[in-house]
Amino acid sequence: MASIAGKTDEQLIVEKHIANFHRGFAYWPRAEEAPPALGDSRWTQDLILATWLMAETGKPPDNGLEYKIGASGGGFDVLDFNIPSEDKWLPADTEIDLSIPLNRRDDGAQLKIDLPMYGGGMSYGSISEHVMQARARAAQQLGTFTSTGEGGYPPSLVPYKDHIITQVATGMFGVREETIQYAPIVEFKYAQGAKPGLGGHLLGDKATDVVAAMRESVPWVSLFSPFPFHSVYSVEDHRKHVDWIRTTNPRALVSVKVSTPTDVDMVAVGSYFAGAHIVHLDGSYGGTGAAPEIAKKNIAMPIEFAIPKVHKYLVSENVREEVTLMASGGVRTAYDVAKAIALGADGCVMGTAELIAIGCTRCSNCERGRGCPFGLTTTDPLLQQLMPADWGQQRIVNMYTAYAAQLRDLLRKLGLHSIRELRGRRDLLKYVG
Amino acid sequence: MTHVPTGSPSSGYHRYHIPTKPAPDIEKWPSRFKVKVRRTGLAKLLLSEIVHYRGRKDVILSRPCMYGVFSGPVGGFMPREEHCVGCLRCTTEFPEFVRIEHNPERQKLGDSYFTFNYVDQIAYEASSGLVPVRGAGYRGKFGGEGWDGMWTDMSEIVRPTRDGIHGRETISTVVDIGYTPNFLQFDAAGQPVGNTPHYLSIQLPILFDGGDLPRDGHIARMYACAAAELDTLAVLPFEQALGLGQYAHAIVPVVRAEHAQQLGQLGFTPRMVEMHGWDDGLYAAIIAAFPQAIIALRTGFGDAPALVGYAQRGVKVFHLVADYHGRSADGRFVLDLIRDAHKAFVDAGIREEVTLLGSGGMIAAEHMPKAMICGLDAVAVDTPPLVALQARFEGECASRTASRFSLPAGLNEAWGVQRLKNLAASWRDQLLEILGAMGLREVRRLRGEMGRAMFMKTLEADAFAGLLGYSEAANG
Ligand code: SF4
Ligand code: SF4
Repeated sequence: MASIAGKTDEQLIVEKHIANFHRGFAYWPRAEEAPPALGDSRWTQDLILATWLMAETGKPPDNGLEYKIGASGGGFDVLDFNIPSEDKWLPADTEIDLSIPLNRRDDGAQLKIDLPMYGGGMSYGSISEHVMQARARAAQQLGTFTSTGEGGYPPSLVPYKDHIITQVATGMFGVREETIQYAPIVEFKYAQGAKPGLGGHLLGDKATDVVAAMRESVPWVSLFSPFPFHSVYSVEDHRKHVDWIRTTNPRALVSVKVSTPTDVDMVAVGSYFAGAHIVHLDGSYGGTGAAPEIAKKNIAMPIEFAIPKVHKYLVSENVREEVTLMASGGVRTAYDVAKAIALGADGCVMGTAELIAIGCTRCSNCERGRGCPFGLTTTDPLLQQLMPADWGQQRIVNMYTAYAAQLRDLLRKLGLHSIRELRGRRDLLKYVG
Repeated sequence: MTHVPTGSPSSGYHRYHIPTKPAPDIEKWPSRFKVKVRRTGLAKLLLSEIVHYRGRKDVILSRPCMYGVFSGPVGGFMPREEHCVGCLRCTTEFPEFVRIEHNPERQKLGDSYFTFNYVDQIAYEASSGLVPVRGAGYRGKFGGEGWDGMWTDMSEIVRPTRDGIHGRETISTVVDIGYTPNFLQFDAAGQPVGNTPHYLSIQLPILFDGGDLPRDGHIARMYACAAAELDTLAVLPFEQALGLGQYAHAIVPVVRAEHAQQLGQLGFTPRMVEMHGWDDGLYAAIIAAFPQAIIALRTGFGDAPALVGYAQRGVKVFHLVADYHGRSADGRFVLDLIRDAHKAFVDAGIREEVTLLGSGGMIAAEHMPKAMICGLDAVAVDTPPLVALQARFEGECASRTASRFSLPAGLNEAWGVQRLKNLAASWRDQLLEILGAMGLREVRRLRGEMGRAMFMKTLEADAFAGLLGYSEAANG
């Protein structure tokens, strides 16, 4: 226990709980039994504990924890790779390239990321500022991006602005000219997979004074980001959005985040023709701060089905090489990322996995009162101190480092030199359902 | 005490709204989690903290739980586990001596079909009237059998939107029950002749189906009163409908052949009557006794061609009934059965002329829009209102005649009516979420809209066909 001299009660309380948390996060992945009530079909006990271990060590677990698949009984969990015999593997010292380009058009900045992953939008207010900082710093360290979500751009993020995607959604909360000018990528959120067709919702309990100020709204009032954009009913309307961004920040790439209805393939092609550099498909089983249960489970299709549908259609329209396809919504592991790419995506957008790395137990209480008891999805000034940004940064970097090791190992065994060679290689997958 | 309805059946235009208010459980249910604290471990921790923090009370007493589980007079020595939400903070902080487990007693609620998760959800809906909202994404299985193997569509750009859900636009949940001819004929004077529309409208596609449940009149009265206040219908056995004339507008008596001579005893003129199985004499008796009433045939799912035959004999409303687990006599699931019935009428060219109501196996809000997409006009809920009233299942409850439910002691009518109204409000709001996501302004457009359904088997075949090990025959 740390010294108590000269410290306030609040400082001691925060230190005490942080020390206990860190002990627990290190203890449980190595314990003989798992916490009995931890986990669910998608994020099993093993997956959560394995993520905690990777976040601590930067390496895949070697103690028997299942870190590749969950127990959902479908989608990524019934797919595996068809690994050839060992004589076909590349030598262990082969350089494997995990980078992907984000701009396949000949306009705008030619951005590339070192890993085929970046962080998804989580807004100021839905998560704590410390979590935003941890994600941004980790993105900088990893040579990738993270997204503001729709809720404004806290000044503490400005030092990392070259690694932060600015999100523009229907509520326009916190969207300002300078935040668009900061952005290497501007993401239009047309829909989110966790609550397709329903728009965003921040409960009043979390709209504190500072959150409301950032969003230019009224404190302690629930905020809805209506669905959809009332200014967009066609490809041409979307084109006007793109032109607006181009005028404000000519070097920004444009990403369009859409959900996965039956006609998701048409939506993707329409987004491309409207000028998007990145089409971001968000499937229906992803994470969120708060969503009606009926929406999470029942509306729109899982990402595993949307990716091949869109990929095939983009190919048939002869535009596949002109657009980057990013997938999210229930992508939990390095193996999910690889499977998504083999089904036709270029890369993945991660959210929940980053939160798990910094202590989320997936208890689904994010929306209650003061929010997350672990200090993640909270705006409570005391609670948010429970997750210090530097600790979070390191955990997120470690998790992705372990993911990168797994991806390189997998590609080597598949005989591929780069992650880009994996895209659309359905022949390397097998169905094990 | 008799609960007096506060609403009145629709007379002229009014914006439909269901007044909700909290109606907490009257019977204590087992807590969701068990909280186990090893007392020696806790005592040691306390002692070491007292020493280390030198009596700084706020620091020593700062415990992990934000939900009051350890805030009783003796803190962690007597955890108040009914407050536990399973966040696992305590066991993360103190893995050596705190364990949180799912409570097996809670998991015994319901039966193998109406599992405790559904019971939990209905309990929340009935007590609060709210839409269940939670964080952290979807936690369940990927897809599954039955209802879980189906998703509903959404639209990326169309209205109505959350504006509709939050009241600035209207999304209508009115459904019509009865007969509408495919076309009208007029005489030389421009007056309609021949078959003319004959239907009633209710404000939401949810009826209370008590038609098979022999119970005391207490429950029937609650169903009737709630239905009256909601401007919908309660389907009740003939014997239980007697004496409920106060709610005449909302009651659908279920009559059997033996009631043919007793119809006059009802004491009121119902808007709709259900005939339990086809009987020529009974049909004629109902027409004679209640010439203005809409007559529905209550019958099993399964024999779709026979239904078309009954339609040709004059029946225009069908209340199709599966068992409480959503199965027909031959074991098929209600989702397929609805589609078969709907399709039989489409193929016969008379789907627009008839109304299909359905009961059995529809136990969650999401089953309602799914059933309608598959072809129902409205859902008649059977076991969900019982669960809303905190009925306990006694063993497996699949059979409509043999199943047993025990009701809580202290059940009172005002509470029961509010629970039923809360349930209906929550389900309606969830229906609005689905309709808003699709951009539909009225629920009537949902019926039979199969283009808005996505089935796991089909999507999986599209996505995974050709993969090594994938066999469409085995999976499709
Ligand atoms: S409340 Fe629970 S699910 Fe939400 S972020 Fe915190 S630990 Fe994760
Ligand atoms: S699991 Fe969470 S809610 Fe339950 S006792 Fe522990 S800290 Fe409290």
